Amino acid sequence: MLRSVTSSIIQCRGIKHQVKIKWVRPEYVPSYKPEKSGDLEPISSFPPDTLGKDYALSEEIKDAPEAVKKIFSIAHLGQKEYNVLVKNDLMERVKRHKYDDHTSESRIARITGHIRCLQLTMEKYPKNVKAKQTCQELIDRRKQLLKFLRQYDYKKFEWILEKLNIEYKGHPETYNKLSRKESLRKLTEMHCDDIRNKKLNDYRNLLESQQGPFLKEKLEALKFIKSEQMELQLPVTVTDQDIKKVDKQLEEWKIKDEIKQQAKKKKRSVLLEDSE
Amino acid sequence: MARNVADAARKFLLLGQCVPTVKQNAAKIRVKRLELDENLLMYFKKDEFFYCHDPSKICKTGDIVLIQALPHKLTKLITHEVKEVVYPFGDVTDPVTGKKVAKERYREDIEAETKLYGKLDSTFDYNKAPPRGWQEGKKDFTSKPTYTKFHVFDENDPYAI
Repeated sequence: MLRSVTSSIIQCRGIKHQVKIKWVRPEYVPSYKPEKSGDLEPISSFPPDTLGKDYALSEEIKDAPEAVKKIFSIAHLGQKEYNVLVKNDLMERVKRHKYDDHTSESRIARITGHIRCLQLTMEKYPKNVKAKQTCQELIDRRKQLLKFLRQYDYKKFEWILEKLNIEYKGHPETYNKLSRKESLRKLTEMHCDDIRNKKLNDYRNLLESQQGPFLKEKLEALKFIKSEQMELQLPVTVTDQDIKKVDKQLEEWKIKDEIKQQAKKKKRSVLLEDSE
Repeated sequence: MARNVADAARKFLLLGQCVPTVKQNAAKIRVKRLELDENLLMYFKKDEFFYCHDPSKICKTGDIVLIQALPHKLTKLITHEVKEVVYPFGDVTDPVTGKKVAKERYREDIEAETKLYGKLDSTFDYNKAPPRGWQEGKKDFTSKPTYTKFHVFDENDPYAI
């Protein structure tokens, strides 16, 4: 009730926010791009005079003249043969045996090769819708295969990430659309957390700096009480252990304090260098 | 009576799965249970999340672990502790024979098959493989939850998608 009355009296639409937060909208990155798909390595490169995959097996090509070799090289045979070589190269890295083309690792390798070829196509022809579609489907397929591999064989999963140079990120809890309001809310929350942590740290530093003088005072007081009690022949309440304990605490504090002071000095010198 | 029941409930062990979390000094455990809907007389699944004290970091994301309530709450969040890891994630052992398994087959059988075809140098070797976690934070980003990228920061967070 009160809230509704106050909001109608006090206008809050025109009030400017005190916190200075500038929100920068992250740039849109198409999902076929390597930074989104998780490919850390560009497409494997071969010299243009490399022979096509099947032609290289031939006996006759070994002692054939240069002109014939040139005809059967990938420079001449076209992109299709080049892509076959790319897939083959990636599959060779993880193959179990010579005839292996159906196990999960070789499937992932083959798909990775295909994705990298399609990414190259997309860079050349960004309006190629068919390639974009296939690329996206393959990326999703690979992610699914990696997810399954991770579930039943974690060691192999990590090994394959290293061998093929792929990144794997888990699915987020929700795929919500990016909005200005929500982003600003998150940023403000972070800002508030920063302020709170800074205040807490400052207070901790203040308290810790007061520990040393207090411990010194305590040590002296304990020693004084003990000597007085001895002198007046009263029952001694302060044991040697108490004094030792305080002494130990004081020494620990001194070491800590020294480390802190050095860190401070370093920071100051770095700041000075930067300003110069 | 009620107090005894509460005490007994506290001693119960719970079986749950470790899920990714941003908390550095605690593990987040998901316990799956079935809850009876009295109107429909049907059971529906219900997830409960517990933050567990795990000082030696024995459990990693995905592990199935046993947890128990602490006698006193450590913090506002941390109420349980991790007792033991029952099934490590992605490292399955057959309970009957005690042999290691990959998916639906024994690793031995897979290796024997590979030998028949002729083993290559590129074959993955389980004996030489380092324990899980050597790619964590490098190429394998699964220990923390991922989120939609909402701002351009100076430092690029790999967990932002």
